[in-house]
Amino acid sequence: MSSSRRTALKKLAGTALTAAAFESIAMGMDTPMKLKGNIRHSVSRWCYSSIPFEELVQISKSLGIESVELTGPEEWKVLNKYGMTSAMGWTDWPKGTGLTSFFNNPKNHDTLVDLYTNLIPQAANAGVRNLICFSGNRNGLGDYQGLLNSQKVLKRIMPIAEKNNVLLTMELLSSRDSHPDYQADNVEWGAVLCEMVGSPNFKLLYDIFHMQSMSGDHIRNIRRYHQYISHYHTGGHPGRHEIDETQEIYYPAIVKAIIATGYKGFIGQEFVPTAKDKAGMVESLKKSVLICDV
Amino acid sequence: MSTRRSALKTLTGTALTLSLTETLAAQAAAAPALKGNINHSACRWCYSKIPLEELCKAAKEIGLKALDLTGPAEWPVLKKYDLTCSMAQGAGKGIENGFNNPALHDELIASYEAIFPKLKEAGLTNVICFSGNRRGMADEQGLENCAKGLKRLMSSAEKHGVVMIMELLNSKVNHKDYMCDHTAWGAELCRRVGSESFKLLYDIYHMQIMEGDIIRTLKENSKYIGHYHTGGNPGRNEIDETQEIYYPAVMKAILDTGYKGFVAQEFIPKRDPLTSLKQGVLICDV
Repeated sequence: MSSSRRTALKKLAGTALTAAAFESIAMGMDTPMKLKGNIRHSVSRWCYSSIPFEELVQISKSLGIESVELTGPEEWKVLNKYGMTSAMGWTDWPKGTGLTSFFNNPKNHDTLVDLYTNLIPQAANAGVRNLICFSGNRNGLGDYQGLLNSQKVLKRIMPIAEKNNVLLTMELLSSRDSHPDYQADNVEWGAVLCEMVGSPNFKLLYDIFHMQSMSGDHIRNIRRYHQYISHYHTGGHPGRHEIDETQEIYYPAIVKAIIATGYKGFIGQEFVPTAKDKAGMVESLKKSVLICDV
Repeated sequence: MSTRRSALKTLTGTALTLSLTETLAAQAAAAPALKGNINHSACRWCYSKIPLEELCKAAKEIGLKALDLTGPAEWPVLKKYDLTCSMAQGAGKGIENGFNNPALHDELIASYEAIFPKLKEAGLTNVICFSGNRRGMADEQGLENCAKGLKRLMSSAEKHGVVMIMELLNSKVNHKDYMCDHTAWGAELCRRVGSESFKLLYDIYHMQIMEGDIIRTLKENSKYIGHYHTGGNPGRNEIDETQEIYYPAVMKAILDTGYKGFVAQEFIPKRDPLTSLKQGVLICDV
């Protein structure tokens, strides 16, 4: 994921004319698509990696999207330039760490404490309120030991997160399908960890696609655990493509339930567009934003 | 067809309904309004306030071919209205007391043996059965017990052309402690029983509560699934835009598996029951 991000950035830097060209395009896209304003829309950068970053920011803005997420400090600058934000920040993870190797493994703790100690103030300065984090894979670790290990390192990070008004948001992922052996694969485990950490600055990313693969029962779980949820992701199930009539989740009802919990944050589109051409990808993104705009 | 539909829509709920629907039912008998890919049914108990004959007439009008969860005394009424019973009840000891309890096996076997000839005579194939509640029993012990009891019935079921269908139910909300609450457990039981006369009832509502992952699960286990139920989640009401499952995509996936059986609506209507039933059927008519 981060390699495609780097490639995109490289491409952007390599063409001297690009930035200016985008700005002139931007002038033409002055009136964003009209949305209802009940939910804030975001889009995941990696799902559109073939579109140069600044162009994706422009397109997103024209669709009424306020955030391009799963983006890092260099991209936050570009977003800020356009009055946009990153609803979920990240960075290049240090060698040996990442989605499969993270908080549940004590050998990563010092590295990750250093990483967030450095990243949190940067996020605060850029107006980024959420930084993503992961459990890591189990590798034979029991649920309870995984909780204890994760709690220990999060307790070390929480004071700086609280001081900077930034949240660490742990993503819930499917271990049945996309991420075999990932530990934070159900909302109950995540909720227990939130209680153990005991800070309003540690919450969960409820990924509706991943949780449909693992457990279903979204509206009930969202009502029950919303106090521990600081971000939502979408995706069509099965297949992780468009969130439309080709798949089994009825998104408008779920987004309504999210809004009913008093949620003021973003919903991040995180599906892989079926179309590979830019026009097709943008059309899918637009359609998905409208599906979630209840 | 669409005129008939909109006519019905405005008619239901008015005092004139009954006599007019009778007329319309007669007209509709020759001209089915639905696509014919899904065989539609509905569960009798969700419309318990409507007398059976009246429900049969309305069901026929909407385009249903069957009603679910009716017993031998009701089958002649269904037949009168050219409906079949897509899931018979009338044997066993209820949801909580089923095949996972060896102490009940003799009684259960006598009960099912008694209904098999009645099913055959009425031209029916599917009869419902249950695992029973766990009461502290482990999954493996439950599988062994159920397989043992069901195997004693299989040669007779096969001889009568009957399929015993065990329902998958949620144990989280509606049926706390029910054992057959995951597809994987039910599929393993099918493998152990090893007969085409034992299959599962995949209840989409119940399984969305327990495991999600509907389309993949029903595709992977299609050979073990003999029947489907619907219901909106959460709440078990209408299957429309008020709930989280997108039924048309699920129905298409069911058709993709080559399924030739019935899909029975099993939700508790919050609004006018027959209008909601019709809406549910239309949502599933892909």
